[in-house]
Amino acid sequence: MSPPRLTGALRSFSHVSKKDDFTEQPYDLKTKRLKRQELFAREGLTWQKIVHFCSEHQDKAKHQAASQELKSFLLAAKQIVGAEHGQEAIESAAVFLFETFHNQDHVGTEETRAIRQMFGPFPSAAAEASCDCVARLVAPLGNDRVEDFVQKQSSHRSPQRASAFGRNIAFSYDCYTLDPLEGLPCAAVQEENVSLDF
Amino acid sequence: MACARVPLDEQQVTEPGPLGKERTLPALHPERKEERCFVPYKPPPEDGSPAEVEEFLEYARFVMEDMEWLLALPHDKFWCQVVFDESLHTCLDSYLRHAPRSLDLAALPSSPAVAEMQRSVHRVVFLTFLRMATHKESKENFLTPTVFGEIIYQNFLFDIPKIMDLCVLFGKGNSQLLHKMIDNIFTQQPSYYTDLDETVPTVLMVFDSILDKCGLQCEAAAMEPMKLNEHKQLTAMTMSLQELVDILLYLCDSTTTIHAFLDIFPAACSTFYSHGFLGRLTWFYETAVPDLEKAVRRRNFDDKGLQEDLWKRLSHSCRKMVECAHLLLHHTCLQPILEGRENMQTSAEELLQHFTSFLPEKRFLSDYDEQFPLVDDISLLQQALPVIDETRTSYLLQGVESAWDSVGRRKPSSQIRSN
Repeated sequence: MSPPRLTGALRSFSHVSKKDDFTEQPYDLKTKRLKRQELFAREGLTWQKIVHFCSEHQDKAKHQAASQELKSFLLAAKQIVGAEHGQEAIESAAVFLFETFHNQDHVGTEETRAIRQMFGPFPSAAAEASCDCVARLVAPLGNDRVEDFVQKQSSHRSPQRASAFGRNIAFSYDCYTLDPLEGLPCAAVQEENVSLDF
Repeated sequence: MACARVPLDEQQVTEPGPLGKERTLPALHPERKEERCFVPYKPPPEDGSPAEVEEFLEYARFVMEDMEWLLALPHDKFWCQVVFDESLHTCLDSYLRHAPRSLDLAALPSSPAVAEMQRSVHRVVFLTFLRMATHKESKENFLTPTVFGEIIYQNFLFDIPKIMDLCVLFGKGNSQLLHKMIDNIFTQQPSYYTDLDETVPTVLMVFDSILDKCGLQCEAAAMEPMKLNEHKQLTAMTMSLQELVDILLYLCDSTTTIHAFLDIFPAACSTFYSHGFLGRLTWFYETAVPDLEKAVRRRNFDDKGLQEDLWKRLSHSCRKMVECAHLLLHHTCLQPILEGRENMQTSAEELLQHFTSFLPEKRFLSDYDEQFPLVDDISLLQQALPVIDETRTSYLLQGVESAWDSVGRRKPSSQIRSN
């Protein structure tokens, strides 16, 4: 809980702020994750593009193996996103996992954090299975080609950070600190004279 | 795409609608807002379990990610989001309300990950408010100033408590930018001066409530007879320790916030001054400070660290109150004299009257004189207005000496001068 503050009193007792609307619930993590998944699915890389990318320029035998791998990958994605979700959500999760693991050989802390932020708690075995599937899918394609494909597709989604407002503003993290006039007098209690003036 | 050199509030855009059919809308239109679902900010856990830390990090990451997205939006989309997205308002408001102040009792986050995340969020929130306070980003991207004033006021993008929060959270290292922001807000929307005028009585109530809690009722209350069934009033010595801690934290926060606001936006001084804030502040100081000091010194603290900390907070609050008094005097009385304005004679008279009114408030006067020697201001006054009555100024300076004597303190040697 925040400590008592002047601005808290001003919000409560003066009439210059918007009154709190207690009927309106702020978004929680679960709702936010769903919204984020929805936004993710809307733009940039899609499952169809990944399927096409992994299957093109492959002979029939490799094509067959890639199809099998894509199926296993979707299965692992389903375990992460939750079985109650439809095919669209599962494919969108697979896209996210593909982007996350396309240049990784194991599930590190960063990847765990990213998946958790997107989907909430998830079975780690499914993440490892996804990572392995992606590794097997991209192995025959060449690192540069895969990187180029992911970057090109994902750029539709990322905000234009280079032109973001405030990028050149020098921001200071300095904070106000206690600036007392004097320290507590030594042996403060003893210094006080007990009044004997009855 | 928006047309160049036309204010955003007058632009129209043609873009595909929800069914894919092209439509023309005002550039500032609720349907152009993205459904982003900003989450509220949660402060770092004080003594957090790993789960609490993880929850903080997750909320903070979303806030940071969303603010970065917002800052990267083109001008028209940014304003659509800022005006029409209630979840963004809630998110920004929650940061101002709950972000830890450096003066809060709780220590800073011990985890480097938490500290780093907090720093990142702190920066993007500031930049968002900065963008919201800027009506002209470039020659092409701007709002009509009066429309900008209406937008920020009608949608409560800024209000007086928020402006004060901004000052206390970001003012220490970003005072120049904040000054520009707040100055622009008040210039484009003068209704904020009216709001400030309405707010000052509530600020005064805060000081009265502290006096009341310490059993030091203000003059008006003291005139009322005590009810027979009324309980004996608690004092700073007899109230619970937690209550004393709360009062000192409240005082420390209030004085720091008011000082930060007046320091960054001195134009507010005249509003505070017109409500008799100076007199109320000095009276509060004289009445409350000795009692609170006594309580912190004499009460039995199991935790000596807490006692030391509370003393520092009280002493810091004293410094801030003295500095506020000086800011008010400087910007309302001294400045017109130094600038040789037409009303300098009236200002000089007011200044002398204030100094005279300080004479009975001996504790305040000696503390004020320690930081801002009256002799310096009087000397300035004499140089600017040689006609100032010398008997009056001598009387004032004698009063200052007497105040030092009566509180049993000696002036710092650097201040002792031969007259």
